[in-house]
Amino acid sequence: MADPTLLDRHLLFVTGKGGAGKSTVSAALALLAARAGKRVLVCEVNAAQERVPPLLGARPGDGALQEIRPGIHALDVRPQQAMREYGLMVLRFRAVYHAVFENRLARYFLRMIPSLAELVVLGKILHEARWRGPDGRPRWDLVLVDAPATGHAVQLLRVPSALLDAVPAGPLRHDAEWMERLLVDPVKTAVALVTLPEDMPVNEAIELDAQVRGVLGMVRAGLFVNAMPSSRVSPAEARALRRVEPVPPLGPAARAAELASLRSEEARRHLARARAAIELPTTVVPLIASAGWGLAQVEEVAAAIDAAWRSRGSA
Amino acid sequence: MTALSDGLAGRRIAVCVGSGGVGKTTVAAALALSRALAGGRALVCTIDPARRLANALGLTALGNAQARIPEARLAEAGLRPAGELHAMMLDVKRTWDELVARHAPDPARRDRILGNRLYQQMSAALAGSQEYMAMEKLYELAAERDHDLIVLDTPPTAHALDFLEAPARILDFLGSDAARTFLAPAMGAGRFGLRLAQLSGGYAAKALARFTGQQALSDLGDFLQSFQGMYDGFKERAAAVRALLAGPETGFVLVSSPSPLSAAEALAFHERLTAESMPVAGLVVNRLTPDLWPSSEPLPGPGELAGPLAAAGLLEGPAAPAAGSLAERLAAGLAEHQALVDGERRALEPLLARATGARVLIPRLETDVHDLAGLARLAALL
Repeated sequence: MADPTLLDRHLLFVTGKGGAGKSTVSAALALLAARAGKRVLVCEVNAAQERVPPLLGARPGDGALQEIRPGIHALDVRPQQAMREYGLMVLRFRAVYHAVFENRLARYFLRMIPSLAELVVLGKILHEARWRGPDGRPRWDLVLVDAPATGHAVQLLRVPSALLDAVPAGPLRHDAEWMERLLVDPVKTAVALVTLPEDMPVNEAIELDAQVRGVLGMVRAGLFVNAMPSSRVSPAEARALRRVEPVPPLGPAARAAELASLRSEEARRHLARARAAIELPTTVVPLIASAGWGLAQVEEVAAAIDAAWRSRGSA
Repeated sequence: MTALSDGLAGRRIAVCVGSGGVGKTTVAAALALSRALAGGRALVCTIDPARRLANALGLTALGNAQARIPEARLAEAGLRPAGELHAMMLDVKRTWDELVARHAPDPARRDRILGNRLYQQMSAALAGSQEYMAMEKLYELAAERDHDLIVLDTPPTAHALDFLEAPARILDFLGSDAARTFLAPAMGAGRFGLRLAQLSGGYAAKALARFTGQQALSDLGDFLQSFQGMYDGFKERAAAVRALLAGPETGFVLVSSPSPLSAAEALAFHERLTAESMPVAGLVVNRLTPDLWPSSEPLPGPGELAGPLAAAGLLEGPAAPAAGSLAERLAAGLAEHQALVDGERRALEPLLARATGARVLIPRLETDVHDLAGLARLAALL
């Protein structure tokens, strides 16, 4: 495998433009990691609707930790729950927690601490990533985060360093410190970018890549170009088919071939652009034409990723 | 099918909403361009941090100030609008600062707030801050009455409703009587933190300090104290913004792609807007795969294509890049294409059944919209 470093991380954030296929790529990576014998946790961040469990053939849960396949657990990290856990951890006693957190006024204050919601969400994820059992073994070999889209992901990952600038000594600062250390740890943690072979998604990926490097100072481990269309006809055939009269049955078939050919040419241009601008190992995931999305399609994506890695390794 | 431009006729404000990756920014820009071409003075405003709009407009960067798209640029794309097209990108921090400056009773108070560490973090990083400031900027622009149409592109929120709730959530605290009462003994009485233990909620406050650190609470006290007397101004303003959004001048434009996920989110947004009596001007379904086989006849197999291919002199084409005859590949390609069409139709059914107002279905254009000419083609479809 040419990407031994990607799934060998402890913590991998998968981000990119909305709709680029972050959840699908996260789910496929989880399958590959579990297949390699790893214990995997996939985290979603305050998902309105959990996407990863249905993609892996399980029912969406209520946000709580659940094993969705052998070796794969899923968790939707929600701010309120994370805040509660964090509060209990800091205050230690349930009674004290209730006195503080159920106090309406105190709740106002907590809401005003800038980005506390993001901090506890991120804290919950990072806490899982560094969790060790009594035997000293980490609870998870890999924590995969199906992170929010571009701008929001940067906002989320920036919280610890922003707090370090803003908050003086205290428990909050202490937490921000270890969180920031883990985020920028070049061995344990990395960011994977997902994009589509289209104009604006590629532009956004280029910009995001620069932000991850510059603003966040995190390691970027790979670029996934998702839903790469392919053409069944050669460019020459496509040109010839353009002369076909628009009469069924050949007309529509020729038109479908022509559209597919145009799309694939355009996609190749954008893929080339992404490769040139983003210097990362790039994995191309083919477009899968399917009416529905479930385990079968994610298996297909996982197989494609695996094949791409193997061929790159042998090349 | 009513054109969206009709749905927006007589309105001065269009707010484009939808999940990420559906082409919302592009639709917003095309709507503004469409009004400019029709002779109006149109402005498109994005708060998308990814600067997609500048890209589509052929500008290298967009600032917090409005920039007119130069006529020369438009002319290059073959466009000679009777009106004007303006664009801007919202700078969230700057909009906060301007808001504070507007409400501060004097420069000293303004500087104290702008210099507060909590304020600086809040304005830049608070969740919902973007959405709040987008509303604020929209109100300001609308009040200037400088434009015939203002199109607001919204950030790709995971929770579409953030948009409606963020201002209330942030102001809930700033304007809360309870918070003021809680803080009153501390305000103007030296260091806030030192007084915390003496407050009526002393127990809670002490535990809270353990949680956040004493200094953070002091900063917060200072911040809130600085805001004293300004709450009402903020609140009135937010109420005015909400009234503007619900008013007859505004129309929300739902943007969706044909994917099941984005259609479901657009539907959720539609239901919420309707429940809040917010005016939905129309729905744009973007990037629809064109139906190439609308008849109820079964799709053709390779056998049915071979004849016509031979008649067109295409059977002995150039060497095939993949396995299978040209007829086989064409049959498989058409079947795959139509499977996509069927999947999209199923995904959109519930949304189309519920959505009110104008409705525009835009086929996937053969090339991406990435320049003014592309925007113009899209504008023509709206």
